[in-house]
Amino acid sequence: MADKEKRRSGAAPPGMPDGKATKSDCDREFLSQAGVGELLRGAILKMVEARSDDPIGFLADHFCNLASVTEPGTAGCGDADQMNNGPQSAQEQQHLNRALWHLRLAHHSQRSAFSNNVCVAYDLLNSTGPRRRAAEVPECPEGSCNDSQTEVGGGVRGGLYTQTLQCLCSEGGVPASTSAPLLRRLHCQDHEAVPYDVFRHGVLTCAVFSDYIRQAQRLYAEVCCPDEGPASRALGMAVLGTLREALETSQGSEANCCVNANTKSNSCLEANVKAKRYLEASAKISPYKLGQAMATAQTRGPGGDMDAKEFENAAAELFITRVKVLS
Amino acid sequence: MSSSSSDVLLPVDSSIKPPVFLHLGDTEPLSGVCVLDVTLPFGKTVNVEEISFKNHYTASVSMRLLRTGPPSQWVTAVRDLPLMENPHTEGGSQDYCCIHRTQVDPDHVISVRLILKQPSSTWRSFSLDDIRILPHKQQDPEKEVSDWLSDLTLADQHTDLEGLPPPQSVSSSLQQMFALTEVMMQSNETTASIGRFHVDGCYDINLLSLL
Repeated sequence: MADKEKRRSGAAPPGMPDGKATKSDCDREFLSQAGVGELLRGAILKMVEARSDDPIGFLADHFCNLASVTEPGTAGCGDADQMNNGPQSAQEQQHLNRALWHLRLAHHSQRSAFSNNVCVAYDLLNSTGPRRRAAEVPECPEGSCNDSQTEVGGGVRGGLYTQTLQCLCSEGGVPASTSAPLLRRLHCQDHEAVPYDVFRHGVLTCAVFSDYIRQAQRLYAEVCCPDEGPASRALGMAVLGTLREALETSQGSEANCCVNANTKSNSCLEANVKAKRYLEASAKISPYKLGQAMATAQTRGPGGDMDAKEFENAAAELFITRVKVLS
Repeated sequence: MSSSSSDVLLPVDSSIKPPVFLHLGDTEPLSGVCVLDVTLPFGKTVNVEEISFKNHYTASVSMRLLRTGPPSQWVTAVRDLPLMENPHTEGGSQDYCCIHRTQVDPDHVISVRLILKQPSSTWRSFSLDDIRILPHKQQDPEKEVSDWLSDLTLADQHTDLEGLPPPQSVSSSLQQMFALTEVMMQSNETTASIGRFHVDGCYDINLLSLL
């Protein structure tokens, strides 16, 4: 950063009567007034978090987004009427695009980076509500935020939230028909205000689901021998069957946990029970068990083929049935 | 007489018939000998760990056990075990006593017969109270290792995998899908509700108390 400052000061007219010390003071003052230090620091931090493959493109996008924040800031307040016309104003669309850009920065497995990005995206989308009632916000308990669609800070507009989820799924490579049942469980009505927790859960679920579907597609490619056309139905069902068993085992008989509900909760014991269930579940998808299941299926399974779409839908169903319905 | 539970071992449910006083001929039942039968639950044999009881003015006790195994036969386990030092005096008349496994040969027992003797005329009625039979517990090895765990060590067995996709790669894909689903379900648990069906005030405590 010091180098950049020197280069910029080098571009100043060389005939300045002031000495070197005051020249760099001037420059430093100019830079601190402009807030350049903060700008660059923010950009570098974001880049470190995102670790994108294209640093120049990333920085270009980043500064583009920042520029679009500062420009229509004044225009937004005056255009309160415009925002109520039509379901999606231009500004909302812009906010949505920027929020999606933020959400794309980090993979969901990078927990803290992903959480930060979700926070930023939420704030962005939250700010698209019309501002004219900012002065009249009455005190309301959290539960009644559903009905007031226009309160600033009540939450993200339901329609916008649903759109975000749809975009996330389609960008993740999930066909609309596959993601439709998931969105039915997660979506919100347009008049509802979505709090942060729900927003985060929805976004995380869609991100995880995209990964899951891509994995399922890869799995199908492995299960069907590529030269011989579609996979046999027996094999496909057997493979998915082992996954279903593993998921059911890991969720386990909740009754076992409840038996101990009245005794002193021994968190160590509970952790042991959970660990045991996970071990048991993962044993079901071990290569040995899988080999057995596939061999059995080959000899005794139903006939016919299973195409990629059907396999994908069956795998998606395993995931979607376990998504909690929003209420 | 039903048994109450003890801390460690539960006594076997046994029914104790009323004592039968023996007498010779037509004389009054003052022979000083009475027999107590303790029947164990029907159909089950018991390996006896110990028999405990409270004395009530019995001078000595003999114990006979009916054991299974063809032929089922009565075996004398204890002969004339003295409970009171002097049958005429109080000493030991209300003591608690316990007959242990090591003193007798107590396996596969169907029925227990206690023969009580009290030769002294001082004590006309005598018996044993609170008779408990504790069964012998086999030390079972704790079965912590489940079947599925022992299956893991059979990895060397090669099933016939011709024409099948390689289980290693299929398994690793499945494991990733499993992990992704678990991530989603953990997020499930921590999610707040949007309160879609909440109507303000309908879950107030004071309303509920009026019901």
